[in-house]
Amino acid sequence: MEDLMKDRVDQLVNYIMKNCLWQFHSRAWDRKRQNEGILTQTAQLLCGETVRLETPLEKCYWVDAVCLAEAFKENYPWIKGLGAEDVRQVMHDLHERMDYLTVTGSLNLELNDQHY
Amino acid sequence: MPYHEFECSKCIPERKKHAVIKGPGEDLTSALPLGYLSTIPGSISERGCAYCGAKHVIGQPMKDVIHLSHGPVGCTYDTWQTKRYLSDNDNFQLKYTFATDMKEKHIVFGAEKMLKKNIIEAFKAFPQIKRMTIYQTCASALIGDDINAVAQEVMDELPGVDIFVCNSPGFKGPSQSGGHHTICIAWFKDKVGTVEPKITSDYVINYVGEYNIQGDQFVMQDYFKRMGIQILSTFTGNGSYDDLRAMHRAHLNVLECARSSEYLCNELRVKYGIPRLDIDGFGFAPLGNSLKKVALFFGIEDRAQKIIEEETARWKPELDWYKARLTGKKVCLWPGGSKLWHWAHVIHEEMGVEVVSVYTKFGHQGDMEKGISRCEEGALAIDDPNELEGLEAMETLKPDIIFTGKRPGEVAKKIRVPYLNAHGYHNGPWKGWEGWVRFARDIYNGVYSPIHQLSLLDISKDEIPTDRGFATQRMLSDASLSDEARHSPDLREYTGKYDCCADLLKKEYPVPERQSVAAV
Repeated sequence: MEDLMKDRVDQLVNYIMKNCLWQFHSRAWDRKRQNEGILTQTAQLLCGETVRLETPLEKCYWVDAVCLAEAFKENYPWIKGLGAEDVRQVMHDLHERMDYLTVTGSLNLELNDQHY
Repeated sequence: MPYHEFECSKCIPERKKHAVIKGPGEDLTSALPLGYLSTIPGSISERGCAYCGAKHVIGQPMKDVIHLSHGPVGCTYDTWQTKRYLSDNDNFQLKYTFATDMKEKHIVFGAEKMLKKNIIEAFKAFPQIKRMTIYQTCASALIGDDINAVAQEVMDELPGVDIFVCNSPGFKGPSQSGGHHTICIAWFKDKVGTVEPKITSDYVINYVGEYNIQGDQFVMQDYFKRMGIQILSTFTGNGSYDDLRAMHRAHLNVLECARSSEYLCNELRVKYGIPRLDIDGFGFAPLGNSLKKVALFFGIEDRAQKIIEEETARWKPELDWYKARLTGKKVCLWPGGSKLWHWAHVIHEEMGVEVVSVYTKFGHQGDMEKGISRCEEGALAIDDPNELEGLEAMETLKPDIIFTGKRPGEVAKKIRVPYLNAHGYHNGPWKGWEGWVRFARDIYNGVYSPIHQLSLLDISKDEIPTDRGFATQRMLSDASLSDEARHSPDLREYTGKYDCCADLLKKEYPVPERQSVAAV
């Protein structure tokens, strides 16, 4: 079961790393914010929940989230067969993995520069 | 992802941490090349300086501006032919370049008076141009000329003119990237918010990090206009000085070359709350996805979808003609910065080539994170290579072609590896659906050039075959092609025009209907 979950998360990570740019903003706080904003909304969309779009920044996350959710469903049909709880779990693990790869485990020495 | 040590650089052990090979099953936390550091003594690299990064890369594409270097005349080089950022005002910014021509006496006695005289003279010579950027150089920085004060004096004396000063001398940073940073922040602080624009659409963007290389911006502008989107400013290809002062009124910053101009988008987000959307303008699928994202933001997805369908139907058969002939060809993707990640995955997926190496001259570790993520396993990733490392990599990897700048490109030609100019292009534009086919055509022409094939023979030692005639490109490219691909009725070579931008510049677009006319 653990292997299955890991395999699924790896597939989603691979898609993001190959096709997206939003996860690589130049500072740690931006990357955390991007991962949180986009992956949270993607999970909501995949679960059929309402997404909050009150600010332009939230709408910008939503744009990437819509494209990501569509791509996940198109490329990884198994995701459509999951219940909401399982989707949330996969997306939670994906979020953790993305934070590790792009922030906490990143070897990028510029991430903690205090200025843009 | 082990670090890679070049044989030629064993005498410079610090270089080892600047190259890695992407290994199977490894990720970015295993190893990442160092980046954006001063070039190591002993390693003569191909970088530009911070002045070059500020002026030649970012400032000078602005079209309605006198670009004046305050320094020796040699600093003004890199205009027409070395940088092909076009404009729709007859390329004023490429035709003319200006320098104060500092000499020894100015170094000793100061050059402020001479600078003021030059500014006024330039405005008088081109009375239709009312905007100027002045670029500090190493010489004027070291003697401490107060360029801002001189510029202010002139602005006080000549009402109607506006001057931007960029204090980015060559030594301000490890490479041209330092200059990108400096000019972005200076423009944001000094100029953004000083002009109020006329808003003509409900959908308003700044198109940032796009330099109109051989017309890239003209192509992208066409898509946005077809979607009814107002491009308030382009930073900076074909960009207008005053439009760029009004960036604060856009609804969305669409960012292409994050390496050179993300700083500006980040500051616009912090101060004005304008979100930053990173896009890819290269490749059918990434470009389609990018237009879709911009359209989603404004709720006009159907308009993007229409363009995607029309353009894909028109150009896919031509891209696939080249893909059939390029599949499996080995490529070294060695640009300056952002193209290593804009292209790394999509030239593999859409043209079938194998990217065996990526490098960046002045990129940061963030660029390597993107590039390594996107290229295939086994690729060699190098930061700030020197000429010997480039030669060693080519001898080891045996690429069929490399995409790089003129200097390393000429080195490659000497060992008979063809190259395409990744900075200025060969027959661009390369953005857009048609542009992507033009890029594929340029790769095809490079790989299968009959002249290149002849160059592989060394007349001093090789036997020259006299029993066969001259082979055409098509004979070379189709030799190992299946009959099905060779005679496919669905595929065809590029059928566009020599200059595919001329018609775009004459095109008229309907005025978009507005719902929120009360907007500024």
